[in-house]
Formats: sequence, C-alpha cells, structure tokens
Amino acid sequence: MFRNEPFLLFLITISIACAVGGIPPIIERQRRRSIENDLPAMLEALSDSLGAGLGLQQAMMAEAERNSGTLGKLLRETLLESHASTFDSALASFASKSRSPQVQRVMHLVSTAIEQDAPLQDILANMSRDYERLNDLMNRRESDLMGRAILIIMFVSIGLPFLIAFIVGLFAPRSQGFQLEEFNSSFTLFFGAASLVAIGVSGRMLGRLRSYFWWAPLWMAVSMSIYHVGVLVIGG
Amino acid sequence: MRSLDESKEILYVIRTLDVLMGSGVGLEAAIHSIAQGGYGVISKDFSDLMVNINKGRQMEKELRSLLKKAETDGYKRVINTMLNNVTQNTDIIETLRKQGERMEETRTENVKEYIEELGGVPETLLSIGMIGPIILAILGIAPQLMEGAEELFGEMNQSAIMRIVNVGLILTLVGMALIGMKAHTKDPGL
Repeated sequence: MFRNEPFLLFLITISIACAVGGIPPIIERQRRRSIENDLPAMLEALSDSLGAGLGLQQAMMAEAERNSGTLGKLLRETLLESHASTFDSALASFASKSRSPQVQRVMHLVSTAIEQDAPLQDILANMSRDYERLNDLMNRRESDLMGRAILIIMFVSIGLPFLIAFIVGLFAPRSQGFQLEEFNSSFTLFFGAASLVAIGVSGRMLGRLRSYFWWAPLWMAVSMSIYHVGVLVIGG
Repeated sequence: MRSLDESKEILYVIRTLDVLMGSGVGLEAAIHSIAQGGYGVISKDFSDLMVNINKGRQMEKELRSLLKKAETDGYKRVINTMLNNVTQNTDIIETLRKQGERMEETRTENVKEYIEELGGVPETLLSIGMIGPIILAILGIAPQLMEGAEELFGEMNQSAIMRIVNVGLILTLVGMALIGMKAHTKDPGL
C-alpha cells in the first residue's frame, strides 16, 4: 500500500521517533505547572509564618511538612541538603531543581530581600498575590484554548483528508480507470503541510509551540496516510 | 520577538526593582542586579547599560538611548521613570508600584481579549482549510469526470487544471498560515 510512497514511509518512521521525544516535555510541563500552581499557597503560608514570628528557614520546614505535592517534596529534599550547606545555596538549589522560571524568580527575589534586609513578610504576601493572578491567567488560557486547539488538529489532520478521500474515491475511483497519480500526490503533500500549519497554530495558541512540534511528523503522517489509504480503499 | 519578550518580563522587573529599591538599594545597584540575568531581553539591555556606565558614560544618556531601543509602552514607561529619578530625584518606588498595578490590569485584559479573539480562529481556519481543498479536489477530477462532454464545457487540459489546483493548494496553505499568525501576533506574553 505504501510501496510507492517513500516520503510517507520516511515520515512514519520519523514520526515514531519524534513522538517518543515529545513525551518528556509533556511530563516535564505537568510537573512544572503542578509546582507553579502550588507556589502562591506556599508563599502565603511562608508570609503568615513569618508574621507569627518564625524565621524563614523554620517557616519553610513547616511548609515542607504540610505540603504533600511536588513542591513540598522538593522543599523537603532541599532542606535536608541545606544541613550540609548554607541556606542561601539551598534556596538556589531549590530554584534550579524546580526548573521553573517562576520559582527561580521568587527564590532570587527572596535571597535578594534577605541580603538587603527587606520586609520579607510583605514581599512574600505580594508575590503570593502576583503569582496567584498569573497562574489563574495561565490556567484560564489553557482551559479556554485547549478545546479549540484540539478541534483544529482533529479537523485538519483527520476530518479533511478523510472527506477529500471520500469525495475523490467516490467520484473518481481508480477501479474505473481514473488516472489521478499527480492529483493524489499533490493532495497528499497538501495534507501533510496543512497538518504542520494546524500543529503550529494550536501550539502557538497554547503558548508551547516547541513541544507541539515534536508531534508534527506524527500528525502529518496520520493525515497523509488517511488520504492515501482512504482513496485506495474507497476508490478500489 | 523583542516586544513579546519585553511585555513578558517587564512586570517581574518592576516587582524586583520595587523590592530592591524599597529596601534601600540604589538605582544603579538595582539595575546591576537585574543585569545579572533571569529577565530575558531586559537583563541583556541592563547588562549593556552597565557595561557602558562602567566605561564612564553617563547614566542619563544611557537611559535615553535605552528608551529609543524599547518597543513596548510598559518598558518605555519604566525607563522614563528611571530617567526622571536620575534627573529630578522623583519617588521611583511609588511610581513603579502604580505602574506595576496598571500593567497587571492591562495584562489581565490582554489575556481575556486574546482568548476572545482566538475564539474565531478555528472556524475561519477550518472554513478556508476545508472549502478550498473541496473546491480544488472537484476541479482536479473534473477533466476526467467531464470526458466526452467537451461540447458543453469546452476542452479541459488535465495538466493545466493540475497547475491551477497546485497553486490553489499553496494559496490555501498560505491563507491558513496567515489566519494562524493571529495566535502569534496577539500573544499577551504570559
């Protein structure tokens, strides 16, 4: 069935490799977002604890025990390590381990505030509000646009090639002698390119174009295969 | 890309300047702290500014040249506030706090607007992405479907039709990409 389609065969092979490469960014993103969503609550709790008279390190220990999520686990590990180093380096290690720009910014600001002897309780409370609003916006963008992004990919990569294959197979079946090699080749390439555009638009809508491009070869291969197989099956 | 990066980072820069200067750090030291990194294109700008100041150039002149380089309103406003502080000794902390609040409101509105504006993108994209290929597919098979009906429709050359179909498909792709560009150009930069 794919003997005369070397490009499609090549794309199918590449797509399997890329799909495997596309899984780690998804897992990493889930981990990062879970940390970032927990961050405002942690900052608020730290601010409250400082207001109650605890030191920052004690407040962090209390928060590490309380928080059962990824952020709490990371904090526990960091505080354990801090016994062998300074608290400042523990904060830096916590920031780099989180691999989250939000946490890194917060930790940078906290260590600067400690250095400058700034009012930490107010700073933490302000940051908690800031990051809560930011995460709300990020989550809203995600939930509102995810459905539309999936809709674009599904229609362009599955619905459209199937529809055209159905029309061509029904009205110009190969079994009745229609010569459509050039036509089919143009449309097969078009569906691959259209899927690439759909993936690009969907990825950009959700603000993660790079991680979406890992899945582009797979959707291109799916789209091209649907058309190719559809025309052969329906047209005979 | 620069304006997107600026709008993404400026709010964090304001918060950092607020914390640093609110705790008694001077403007130059605060700029130096941001220049260390972590704030994208703004860190790069501040780092260049610090290099030039260390060469002996005036802070005022450097801020003025940075003002010309800035693309977004928010970033321009922050540099202007710094400039006013240098030239007229204004209360930079209070101004930065107000700017931060205003920018946060603007960012929230921008995100809402972005979500609303992208609401129509799937429909438009699918309209062009589906209608175009359907018409072109029918056009592409027409010469063979209409074989024997030359008296009615005139002679149709398959290769000439295929050229039209190919151009049509390319135009459809360009149209789809242009519609999709909205997702990029209107990005609020979260």
